Amino acid sequence: MEDVKKKIKSFLQEAELYQSQGLLNEAKERYVRAGQLVKKNENLIKNKNLLKVISKKIHVLKEKIDRIESGPISVEMPKQIQDIIKHKFSFSKNDDAGALEGAIALAKFGQFEAALNEFDELIKTASISVEAAKNIIRCHKALDSLDEAANRYKEWLSENFFTPAQLNKLRVFLQGILDSQGVDIKLPKKDIITSPSLETLMDTEVSETEAVETVIPEKIVEQEINDEDIIDISSVGITFTEGPKKGETIEYDVSFQAGSIINLLISGDDKELVENLRTGVVLNEVQFYSPIAMFNGKAVVSSKSEIESGPKQGYYSLDIKVTSIL
Amino acid sequence: MANINLKNREIECKIVYYGPGRCGKTTNLEYIFKTFRKQAIGEMVSANTEGDRTLFFDFLPLGIGKIKGYDVRLQLYTVPGQVKYSATRKMVLREVDGVAFVADSIKVRRKANVESLKDLHQNLKEYGLSITKIPLVIQYNKRDLAKQGIPLLPVQQMERDLNRQLKVPSFSASAINGDGVGATLKACIKLTLQSMRKQLGW
Repeated sequence: MEDVKKKIKSFLQEAELYQSQGLLNEAKERYVRAGQLVKKNENLIKNKNLLKVISKKIHVLKEKIDRIESGPISVEMPKQIQDIIKHKFSFSKNDDAGALEGAIALAKFGQFEAALNEFDELIKTASISVEAAKNIIRCHKALDSLDEAANRYKEWLSENFFTPAQLNKLRVFLQGILDSQGVDIKLPKKDIITSPSLETLMDTEVSETEAVETVIPEKIVEQEINDEDIIDISSVGITFTEGPKKGETIEYDVSFQAGSIINLLISGDDKELVENLRTGVVLNEVQFYSPIAMFNGKAVVSSKSEIESGPKQGYYSLDIKVTSIL
Repeated sequence: MANINLKNREIECKIVYYGPGRCGKTTNLEYIFKTFRKQAIGEMVSANTEGDRTLFFDFLPLGIGKIKGYDVRLQLYTVPGQVKYSATRKMVLREVDGVAFVADSIKVRRKANVESLKDLHQNLKEYGLSITKIPLVIQYNKRDLAKQGIPLLPVQQMERDLNRQLKVPSFSASAINGDGVGATLKACIKLTLQSMRKQLGW
Protein backbone atom coordinates (compact mmCIF):
# COMPACT_ATOMS: atom_id res chain seq x y z
CA MET A 1 0.00 0.00 0.00
CA GLU A 2 2.69 2.51 1.09
CA ASP A 3 4.87 1.42 -1.82
CA VAL A 4 2.09 2.11 -4.31
CA LYS A 5 1.43 5.54 -2.83
CA LYS A 6 5.15 6.34 -2.91
CA LYS A 7 5.40 5.24 -6.52
CA ILE A 8 2.41 7.36 -7.54
CA LYS A 9 3.83 10.35 -5.70
CA SER A 10 7.20 9.86 -7.36
CA PHE A 11 5.63 9.68 -10.85
CA LEU A 12 3.65 12.85 -10.17
CA GLN A 13 6.72 14.71 -8.90
CA GLU A 14 8.78 13.64 -11.90
CA ALA A 15 5.98 14.72 -14.22
CA GLU A 16 5.94 18.18 -12.64
CA LEU A 17 9.71 18.49 -12.95
CA TYR A 18 9.79 17.36 -16.57
CA GLN A 19 7.01 19.79 -17.36
CA SER A 20 9.01 22.60 -15.77
CA GLN A 21 11.86 21.67 -18.13
CA GLY A 22 9.58 21.81 -21.16
CA LEU A 23 9.86 18.04 -21.62
CA LEU A 24 6.18 17.63 -22.29
CA ASN A 25 6.17 14.11 -23.70
CA GLU A 26 8.19 12.84 -20.77
CA ALA A 27 5.85 14.62 -18.33
CA LYS A 28 2.79 13.16 -20.03
CA GLU A 29 4.27 9.67 -19.91
CA ARG A 30 4.82 10.00 -16.14
CA TYR A 31 1.23 11.18 -15.61
CA VAL A 32 -0.05 8.26 -17.67
CA ARG A 33 1.94 5.82 -15.54
CA ALA A 34 0.70 7.48 -12.35
CA GLY A 35 -2.88 7.27 -13.66
CA GLN A 36 -2.51 3.59 -14.51
CA LEU A 37 -1.25 2.89 -11.00
CA VAL A 38 -4.12 4.83 -9.40
CA LYS A 39 -6.67 2.98 -11.52
CA LYS A 40 -5.17 -0.38 -10.63
CA ASN A 41 -5.28 0.43 -6.93
CA GLU A 42 -8.47 2.47 -6.72
CA ASN A 43 -9.58 0.68 -3.56
CA LEU A 44 -6.39 1.81 -1.79
CA ILE A 45 -6.49 5.47 -2.77
CA LYS A 46 -8.47 7.74 -0.49
CA ASN A 47 -8.46 10.74 -2.80
CA LYS A 48 -11.18 9.80 -5.29
CA ASN A 49 -10.50 12.92 -7.34
CA LEU A 50 -6.89 12.00 -8.05
CA LEU A 51 -7.61 10.13 -11.26
CA LYS A 52 -9.69 13.04 -12.52
CA VAL A 53 -6.90 15.50 -11.73
CA ILE A 54 -4.32 13.33 -13.48
CA SER A 55 -6.56 12.91 -16.55
CA LYS A 56 -6.99 16.67 -16.74
CA LYS A 57 -3.22 17.19 -16.58
CA ILE A 58 -2.71 14.63 -19.34
CA HIS A 59 -5.34 16.37 -21.44
CA VAL A 60 -3.71 19.78 -21.00
CA LEU A 61 -0.30 18.35 -21.89
CA LYS A 62 -1.70 16.57 -24.95
CA GLU A 63 -3.15 19.85 -26.17
CA LYS A 64 0.15 21.64 -25.64
CA ILE A 65 2.09 18.90 -27.45
CA ASP A 66 -0.35 18.97 -30.36
CA ARG A 67 -0.06 22.74 -30.60
CA ILE A 68 3.72 22.53 -30.73
CA GLU A 69 3.86 19.61 -33.13
CA SER A 70 1.30 20.96 -35.52
CA GLY A 71 2.80 24.42 -35.25
CA PRO A 72 4.06 26.04 -38.39
CA ILE A 73 7.41 25.00 -39.80
CA SER A 74 7.88 28.65 -40.61
CA VAL A 75 6.14 31.93 -39.93
CA GLU A 76 6.78 35.39 -41.30
CA MET A 77 9.58 36.75 -39.11
CA PRO A 78 10.48 40.34 -38.17
CA LYS A 79 12.73 42.24 -40.55
CA GLN A 80 15.69 41.93 -38.19
CA ILE A 81 15.64 38.14 -38.54
CA GLN A 82 14.97 38.28 -42.25
CA ASP A 83 18.02 40.53 -42.67
CA ILE A 84 20.18 38.01 -40.82
CA ILE A 85 18.89 35.22 -43.04
CA LYS A 86 19.51 37.29 -46.16
CA HIS A 87 23.03 38.31 -45.25
CA LYS A 88 24.33 35.42 -43.18
CA PHE A 89 22.96 32.55 -45.24
CA SER A 90 24.45 33.77 -48.47
CA PHE A 91 27.93 32.42 -49.00
CA SER A 92 28.87 33.34 -52.56
CA LYS A 93 31.70 35.80 -53.05
CA ASN A 94 30.09 37.06 -56.25
CA ASP A 95 27.74 39.98 -55.49
CA ASP A 96 24.91 38.96 -57.81
CA ALA A 97 25.05 35.28 -56.98
CA GLY A 98 25.31 36.21 -53.31
CA ALA A 99 22.20 38.38 -53.50
CA LEU A 100 20.34 35.56 -55.23
CA GLU A 101 21.53 33.11 -52.59
CA GLY A 102 20.32 35.44 -49.84
CA ALA A 103 16.88 35.68 -51.41
CA ILE A 104 16.73 31.91 -51.86
CA ALA A 105 17.67 31.52 -48.18
CA LEU A 106 14.69 33.69 -47.26
CA ALA A 107 12.44 31.41 -49.29
CA LYS A 108 14.00 28.30 -47.73
CA PHE A 109 13.20 29.71 -44.30
CA GLY A 110 9.62 30.23 -45.46
CA GLN A 111 9.90 34.03 -45.66
CA PHE A 112 8.16 34.09 -49.03
CA GLU A 113 6.87 37.66 -49.03
CA ALA A 114 10.32 39.02 -48.20
CA ALA A 115 11.88 36.67 -50.74
CA LEU A 116 9.47 37.90 -53.42
CA ASN A 117 10.54 41.49 -52.75
CA GLU A 118 14.18 40.49 -53.18
CA PHE A 119 13.57 38.48 -56.36
CA ASP A 120 11.58 41.40 -57.78
CA GLU A 121 14.72 43.52 -57.49
CA LEU A 122 17.01 40.76 -58.72
CA ILE A 123 15.22 40.14 -62.01
CA LYS A 124 16.65 43.52 -63.04
CA THR A 125 20.15 42.01 -62.92
CA ALA A 126 20.77 40.36 -66.28
CA SER A 127 23.05 37.55 -65.10
CA ILE A 128 20.48 36.19 -62.64
CA SER A 129 17.21 37.48 -64.04
CA VAL A 130 15.83 34.12 -65.22
CA GLU A 131 16.79 32.37 -61.99
CA ALA A 132 15.16 35.19 -60.01
CA ALA A 133 12.00 34.92 -62.12
CA LYS A 134 11.85 31.16 -61.59
CA ASN A 135 12.12 31.74 -57.88
CA ILE A 136 9.27 34.25 -58.04
CA ILE A 137 7.21 31.46 -59.55
CA ARG A 138 8.37 29.02 -56.86
CA CYS A 139 7.40 31.48 -54.13
CA HIS A 140 3.93 31.88 -55.62
CA LYS A 141 3.64 28.10 -55.74
CA ALA A 142 4.54 27.93 -52.05
CA LEU A 143 2.09 30.73 -51.26
CA ASP A 144 -0.60 28.94 -53.24
CA SER A 145 -0.96 31.95 -55.53
CA LEU A 146 -0.16 30.47 -58.92
CA ASP A 147 -2.66 32.76 -60.63
CA GLU A 148 -0.44 35.61 -59.44
CA ALA A 149 2.57 33.82 -60.98
CA ALA A 150 0.68 33.58 -64.27
CA ASN A 151 -0.07 37.32 -64.09
CA ARG A 152 3.60 38.05 -63.49
CA TYR A 153 4.53 35.98 -66.52
CA LYS A 154 2.03 37.92 -68.63
CA GLU A 155 3.55 41.17 -67.37
CA TRP A 156 7.02 39.98 -68.36
CA LEU A 157 5.64 39.01 -71.75
CA SER A 158 4.07 42.41 -72.40
CA GLU A 159 7.02 44.38 -71.04
CA ASN A 160 9.55 42.66 -73.28
CA PHE A 161 11.68 42.49 -70.18
CA PHE A 162 13.12 39.08 -71.02
CA THR A 163 14.40 37.82 -74.35
CA PRO A 164 12.01 35.54 -76.28
CA ALA A 165 14.17 32.55 -75.41
CA GLN A 166 14.14 33.42 -71.72
CA LEU A 167 10.39 33.96 -71.81
CA ASN A 168 9.90 30.61 -73.40
CA LYS A 169 11.98 28.98 -70.74
CA LEU A 170 9.90 30.66 -68.04
CA ARG A 171 6.67 29.72 -69.77
CA VAL A 172 7.65 26.04 -69.96
CA PHE A 173 8.70 26.12 -66.32
CA LEU A 174 5.53 27.78 -65.08
CA GLN A 175 3.20 25.83 -67.39
CA GLY A 176 4.66 22.59 -66.01
CA ILE A 177 3.88 23.73 -62.48
CA LEU A 178 0.38 24.94 -63.39
CA ASP A 179 -0.41 21.63 -65.09
CA SER A 180 0.97 19.52 -62.27
CA GLN A 181 -1.07 21.51 -59.75
CA GLY A 182 -4.23 21.22 -61.82
CA VAL A 183 -4.48 24.98 -62.45
CA ASP A 184 -6.35 25.55 -65.68
CA ILE A 185 -4.34 28.41 -67.16
CA LYS A 186 -2.74 28.23 -70.57
CA LEU A 187 0.15 30.65 -70.85
CA PRO A 188 0.64 32.60 -74.08
CA LYS A 189 3.80 31.82 -76.04
CA LYS A 190 6.66 33.71 -77.62
CA ASP A 191 7.89 31.82 -80.68
CA ILE A 192 11.52 30.82 -80.93
CA ILE A 193 13.45 28.32 -82.97
CA THR A 194 15.71 25.74 -81.35
CA SER A 195 17.23 22.51 -82.47
CA PRO A 196 16.53 19.43 -80.42
CA SER A 197 19.63 17.88 -78.91
CA LEU A 198 21.00 16.69 -75.63
CA GLU A 199 21.03 20.39 -74.75
CA THR A 200 17.28 20.13 -74.35
CA LEU A 201 17.93 18.25 -71.17
CA MET A 202 19.82 21.09 -69.70
CA ASP A 203 18.68 24.48 -68.65
CA THR A 204 18.68 25.99 -72.12
CA GLU A 205 16.19 27.61 -74.41
CA VAL A 206 13.77 25.02 -75.69
CA SER A 207 10.36 24.86 -77.20
CA GLU A 208 7.93 22.61 -75.40
CA THR A 209 6.68 20.66 -78.38
CA GLU A 210 10.13 19.99 -79.77
CA ALA A 211 11.40 18.78 -76.44
CA VAL A 212 8.50 16.50 -75.67
CA GLU A 213 9.08 14.73 -78.95
CA THR A 214 12.80 14.46 -78.30
CA VAL A 215 13.14 11.27 -76.32
CA ILE A 216 16.81 10.87 -75.65
CA PRO A 217 18.22 7.70 -77.24
CA GLU A 218 19.52 5.21 -74.71
CA LYS A 219 22.82 4.87 -76.53
CA ILE A 220 23.84 8.37 -75.51
CA VAL A 221 26.82 8.11 -73.22
CA GLU A 222 26.49 8.66 -69.54
CA GLN A 223 27.26 12.20 -68.47
CA GLU A 224 28.49 13.41 -65.15
CA ILE A 225 26.38 16.37 -64.14
CA ASN A 226 26.91 19.57 -62.26
CA ASP A 227 24.43 21.18 -59.94
CA GLU A 228 23.64 23.98 -62.31
CA ASP A 229 23.17 21.65 -65.28
CA ILE A 230 19.97 20.01 -64.18
CA ILE A 231 16.61 21.23 -65.40
CA ASP A 232 13.52 21.32 -63.22
CA ILE A 233 12.23 17.83 -62.64
CA SER A 234 8.55 17.32 -61.92
CA SER A 235 8.55 13.60 -61.13
CA VAL A 236 10.91 10.69 -60.84
CA GLY A 237 10.45 7.00 -61.66
CA ILE A 238 12.67 4.68 -59.66
CA THR A 239 13.14 1.12 -60.91
CA PHE A 240 14.07 -1.03 -57.96
CA THR A 241 16.83 -3.54 -58.50
CA GLU A 242 16.55 -5.15 -55.08
CA GLY A 243 14.13 -5.55 -52.21
CA PRO A 244 10.38 -6.24 -52.24
CA LYS A 245 9.74 -4.06 -55.29
CA LYS A 246 12.52 -5.57 -57.41
CA GLY A 247 11.86 -4.96 -61.09
CA GLU A 248 9.03 -2.50 -60.42
CA THR A 249 9.12 1.18 -61.33
CA ILE A 250 7.44 3.53 -58.92
CA GLU A 251 6.85 7.17 -59.78
CA TYR A 252 7.15 9.91 -57.19
CA ASP A 253 6.30 13.60 -57.48
CA VAL A 254 9.15 15.98 -56.78
CA SER A 255 8.37 18.16 -53.81
CA PHE A 256 11.47 20.33 -53.95
CA GLN A 257 14.60 20.62 -56.06
CA ALA A 258 17.88 22.36 -55.46
CA GLY A 259 20.13 21.78 -58.46
CA SER A 260 20.90 18.09 -58.63
CA ILE A 261 19.31 17.34 -55.26
CA ILE A 262 15.72 16.23 -55.63
CA ASN A 263 13.41 15.84 -52.68
CA LEU A 264 10.67 13.20 -52.79
CA LEU A 265 7.96 12.35 -50.31
CA ILE A 266 7.48 8.63 -49.81
CA SER A 267 4.64 7.07 -47.87
CA GLY A 268 5.81 5.27 -44.76
CA ASP A 269 3.15 2.56 -45.29
CA ASP A 270 5.55 0.38 -47.23
CA LYS A 271 8.10 -0.18 -44.49
CA GLU A 272 10.33 -2.54 -46.52
CA LEU A 273 10.52 -0.11 -49.41
CA VAL A 274 11.44 2.76 -47.12
CA GLU A 275 14.08 0.64 -45.41
CA ASN A 276 15.63 -0.22 -48.77
CA LEU A 277 16.03 3.44 -49.64
CA ARG A 278 18.88 3.91 -47.20
CA THR A 279 21.26 6.87 -47.29
CA GLY A 280 24.07 6.01 -49.69
CA VAL A 281 22.07 3.54 -51.77
CA VAL A 282 22.77 3.97 -55.48
CA LEU A 283 19.72 4.01 -57.72
CA ASN A 284 20.94 2.77 -61.08
CA GLU A 285 17.70 3.06 -63.00
CA VAL A 286 15.94 6.36 -62.57
CA GLN A 287 13.67 8.12 -65.04
CA PHE A 288 13.46 11.87 -64.66
CA TYR A 289 10.41 13.63 -66.00
CA SER A 290 10.27 17.35 -66.62
CA PRO A 291 7.63 19.42 -68.39
CA ILE A 292 9.85 19.43 -71.47
CA ALA A 293 11.53 16.05 -71.59
CA MET A 294 12.22 12.75 -69.90
CA PHE A 295 15.59 11.12 -69.49
CA ASN A 296 17.21 8.28 -67.65
CA GLY A 297 20.01 8.46 -65.17
CA LYS A 298 21.46 7.42 -61.88
CA ALA A 299 21.07 8.90 -58.44
CA VAL A 300 22.16 8.26 -54.92
CA VAL A 301 20.04 8.55 -51.78
CA SER A 302 21.67 11.43 -49.91
CA SER A 303 19.35 11.67 -46.93
CA LYS A 304 16.15 10.27 -45.52
CA SER A 305 14.11 11.50 -42.59
CA GLU A 306 10.67 10.70 -41.24
CA ILE A 307 8.14 13.52 -41.17
CA GLU A 308 6.89 13.48 -37.62
CA SER A 309 4.13 16.06 -37.76
CA GLY A 310 1.89 18.04 -40.04
CA PRO A 311 -0.23 16.85 -42.96
CA LYS A 312 2.53 14.59 -44.27
CA GLN A 313 3.14 12.89 -40.94
CA GLY A 314 4.26 9.31 -41.46
CA TYR A 315 5.80 10.07 -44.82
CA TYR A 316 9.53 10.05 -45.43
CA SER A 317 11.39 12.96 -46.92
CA LEU A 318 13.98 11.51 -49.27
CA ASP A 319 16.75 13.50 -50.93
CA ILE A 320 18.30 11.90 -53.97
CA LYS A 321 21.28 13.38 -55.76
CA VAL A 322 21.36 12.97 -59.51
CA THR A 323 24.83 11.61 -60.24
CA SER A 324 24.64 11.02 -63.97
CA ILE A 325 22.30 11.07 -66.92
CA LEU A 326 22.27 8.66 -69.84
CA MET B 1 34.43 27.95 -43.74
CA ALA B 2 35.70 31.05 -41.96
CA ASN B 3 35.62 34.30 -43.80
CA ILE B 4 38.93 36.12 -43.92
CA ASN B 5 39.03 39.69 -45.14
CA LEU B 6 42.68 40.42 -45.79
CA LYS B 7 42.04 44.05 -46.65
CA ASN B 8 40.23 44.90 -43.42
CA ARG B 9 42.21 42.29 -41.48
CA GLU B 10 39.07 40.64 -40.19
CA ILE B 11 38.29 37.02 -39.52
CA GLU B 12 34.75 35.87 -39.08
CA CYS B 13 34.00 32.36 -37.86
CA LYS B 14 30.79 30.51 -37.20
CA ILE B 15 30.17 28.41 -34.12
CA VAL B 16 26.94 26.44 -33.87
CA TYR B 17 25.36 25.19 -30.65
CA TYR B 18 23.75 21.85 -31.49
CA GLY B 19 21.77 19.40 -29.39
CA PRO B 20 18.34 17.92 -28.71
CA GLY B 21 15.25 20.02 -28.03
CA ARG B 22 15.14 21.74 -24.63
CA CYS B 23 18.76 20.88 -23.81
CA GLY B 24 19.69 24.52 -23.14
CA LYS B 25 21.33 25.81 -26.33
CA THR B 26 19.47 29.11 -26.20
CA THR B 27 20.17 29.39 -22.45
CA ASN B 28 23.89 29.11 -23.23
CA LEU B 29 23.70 31.97 -25.71
CA GLU B 30 21.56 34.08 -23.37
CA TYR B 31 24.13 33.68 -20.63
CA ILE B 32 26.97 34.54 -23.01
CA PHE B 33 25.11 37.64 -24.17
CA LYS B 34 24.38 38.71 -20.60
CA THR B 35 27.91 38.09 -19.36
CA PHE B 36 30.00 39.20 -22.31
CA ARG B 37 27.98 42.26 -23.29
CA LYS B 38 31.13 44.23 -24.00
CA GLN B 39 32.17 41.69 -26.60
CA ALA B 40 28.78 41.63 -28.28
CA ILE B 41 28.87 43.51 -31.57
CA GLY B 42 25.13 43.37 -31.99
CA GLU B 43 22.00 42.24 -30.24
CA MET B 44 21.18 38.61 -29.65
CA VAL B 45 18.39 37.70 -32.02
CA SER B 46 16.00 34.82 -31.38
CA ALA B 47 13.23 33.38 -33.49
CA ASN B 48 11.03 31.50 -31.07
CA THR B 49 7.68 29.82 -31.31
CA GLU B 50 5.11 28.18 -29.02
CA GLY B 51 6.56 27.33 -25.61
CA ASP B 52 9.75 29.28 -26.23
CA ARG B 53 11.08 26.68 -28.61
CA THR B 54 13.60 27.90 -31.16
CA LEU B 55 11.99 28.07 -34.57
CA PHE B 56 14.93 28.94 -36.83
CA PHE B 57 17.99 29.87 -34.82
CA ASP B 58 19.38 32.23 -32.22
CA PHE B 59 22.15 34.49 -33.39
CA LEU B 60 24.74 36.35 -31.40
CA PRO B 61 27.67 38.22 -32.96
CA LEU B 62 30.72 38.64 -30.74
CA GLY B 63 34.08 40.33 -31.19
CA ILE B 64 36.90 38.69 -29.30
CA GLY B 65 39.60 41.19 -30.10
CA LYS B 66 42.72 41.00 -32.19
CA ILE B 67 44.77 37.89 -32.84
CA LYS B 68 47.94 38.29 -34.89
CA GLY B 69 46.68 41.67 -36.04
CA TYR B 70 43.33 40.33 -37.21
CA ASP B 71 40.01 41.36 -35.70
CA VAL B 72 38.34 38.07 -34.81
CA ARG B 73 34.56 38.05 -34.96
CA LEU B 74 32.41 35.17 -33.91
CA GLN B 75 28.94 34.36 -35.07
CA LEU B 76 27.25 32.14 -32.53
CA TYR B 77 24.17 30.26 -33.64
CA THR B 78 21.84 27.73 -32.09
CA VAL B 79 19.76 25.29 -34.10
CA PRO B 80 16.15 24.32 -33.40
CA GLY B 81 16.25 21.08 -31.45
CA GLN B 82 12.87 19.66 -32.35
CA VAL B 83 13.13 16.68 -34.68
CA LYS B 84 10.79 18.22 -37.27
CA TYR B 85 13.17 21.12 -37.94
CA SER B 86 15.76 18.90 -39.55
CA ALA B 87 16.02 21.00 -42.72
CA THR B 88 16.55 24.20 -40.71
CA ARG B 89 19.29 22.57 -38.64
CA LYS B 90 21.06 21.61 -41.81
CA MET B 91 20.81 25.13 -43.20
CA VAL B 92 22.19 26.68 -40.01
CA LEU B 93 25.08 24.24 -40.05
CA ARG B 94 26.26 25.36 -43.47
CA GLU B 95 29.82 26.76 -43.48
CA VAL B 96 30.21 26.00 -39.77
CA ASP B 97 33.69 26.33 -38.27
CA GLY B 98 33.12 24.89 -34.81
CA VAL B 99 30.39 23.07 -32.92
CA ALA B 100 29.39 23.02 -29.25
CA PHE B 101 27.19 20.00 -28.68
CA VAL B 102 24.91 20.56 -25.70
CA ALA B 103 23.70 17.30 -24.17
CA ASP B 104 20.83 17.11 -21.71
CA SER B 105 21.84 15.40 -18.45
CA ILE B 106 18.26 14.38 -17.60
CA LYS B 107 18.11 10.59 -17.61
CA VAL B 108 15.04 10.33 -19.84
CA ARG B 109 16.83 12.37 -22.53
CA ARG B 110 19.58 9.81 -23.06
CA LYS B 111 18.18 8.59 -26.38
CA ALA B 112 17.49 12.15 -27.57
CA ASN B 113 21.16 13.07 -26.97
CA VAL B 114 22.43 10.13 -28.98
CA GLU B 115 19.98 10.80 -31.81
CA SER B 116 20.92 14.45 -31.95
CA LEU B 117 24.62 13.61 -32.14
CA LYS B 118 23.86 11.19 -34.98
CA ASP B 119 21.86 13.94 -36.70
CA LEU B 120 24.85 16.28 -36.36
CA HIS B 121 27.13 13.61 -37.82
CA GLN B 122 24.79 13.10 -40.79
CA ASN B 123 24.28 16.79 -41.48
CA LEU B 124 28.01 17.50 -41.34
CA LYS B 125 28.62 14.57 -43.65
CA GLU B 126 26.22 16.04 -46.17
CA TYR B 127 28.40 19.16 -46.25
CA GLY B 128 31.50 17.02 -46.70
CA LEU B 129 32.58 17.56 -43.09
CA SER B 130 33.53 14.92 -40.56
CA ILE B 131 32.36 14.94 -36.97
CA THR B 132 35.75 13.51 -36.00
CA LYS B 133 37.61 16.38 -37.64
CA ILE B 134 35.50 19.45 -37.03
CA PRO B 135 36.36 21.50 -33.92
CA LEU B 136 33.87 20.09 -31.43
CA VAL B 137 33.25 20.28 -27.71
CA ILE B 138 30.54 18.60 -25.68
CA GLN B 139 28.67 20.14 -22.78
CA TYR B 140 26.74 18.05 -20.25
CA ASN B 141 24.13 20.58 -19.29
CA LYS B 142 21.58 20.82 -16.45
CA ARG B 143 23.83 19.23 -13.80
CA ASP B 144 22.11 21.50 -11.24
CA LEU B 145 18.83 19.60 -11.60
CA ALA B 146 20.07 16.78 -9.38
CA LYS B 147 19.30 19.10 -6.46
CA GLN B 148 15.67 19.22 -7.53
CA GLY B 149 15.44 15.44 -7.49
CA ILE B 150 15.40 14.95 -11.24
CA PRO B 151 17.20 11.71 -12.14
CA LEU B 152 20.34 12.62 -14.09
CA LEU B 153 22.73 10.55 -16.15
CA PRO B 154 26.15 10.21 -14.53
CA VAL B 155 28.79 12.16 -16.46
CA GLN B 156 30.75 8.94 -17.00
CA GLN B 157 27.70 7.41 -18.65
CA MET B 158 27.30 10.44 -20.91
CA GLU B 159 30.97 10.26 -21.80
CA ARG B 160 30.50 6.62 -22.80
CA ASP B 161 27.35 7.40 -24.79
CA LEU B 162 28.58 10.47 -26.63
CA ASN B 163 32.32 10.88 -26.35
CA ARG B 164 33.79 7.39 -26.31
CA GLN B 165 34.95 7.61 -29.91
CA LEU B 166 35.12 11.35 -30.42
CA LYS B 167 37.30 12.03 -27.36
CA VAL B 168 36.71 15.78 -27.57
CA PRO B 169 36.87 18.23 -24.65
CA SER B 170 33.75 17.94 -22.51
CA PHE B 171 32.31 20.10 -19.75
CA SER B 172 29.73 19.69 -17.02
CA ALA B 173 27.48 22.71 -17.00
CA SER B 174 24.44 24.42 -15.66
CA ALA B 175 23.73 26.99 -18.33
CA ILE B 176 20.91 28.57 -16.36
CA ASN B 177 23.44 29.56 -13.66
CA GLY B 178 26.28 30.09 -16.11
CA ASP B 179 28.37 27.22 -14.78
CA GLY B 180 30.49 25.71 -17.53
CA VAL B 181 29.14 28.07 -20.21
CA GLY B 182 32.31 30.14 -20.50
CA ALA B 183 34.56 27.08 -20.39
CA THR B 184 32.58 25.41 -23.18
CA LEU B 185 32.70 28.49 -25.40
CA LYS B 186 36.36 29.14 -24.67
CA ALA B 187 37.36 25.58 -25.57
CA CYS B 188 35.28 25.70 -28.74
CA ILE B 189 36.84 29.01 -29.82
CA LYS B 190 40.31 27.66 -29.10
CA LEU B 191 39.79 24.54 -31.19
CA THR B 192 38.13 26.52 -33.98
CA LEU B 193 40.97 29.03 -34.21
CA GLN B 194 43.58 26.26 -34.09
CA SER B 195 41.81 24.50 -36.92
CA MET B 196 41.62 27.72 -38.94
CA ARG B 197 45.31 28.32 -38.47
CA LYS B 198 46.02 24.86 -39.83
CA GLN B 199 43.63 25.15 -42.75
CA LEU B 200 44.45 28.67 -43.81
CA GLY B 201 48.06 28.88 -42.70
CA TRP B 202 47.06 31.93 -40.74
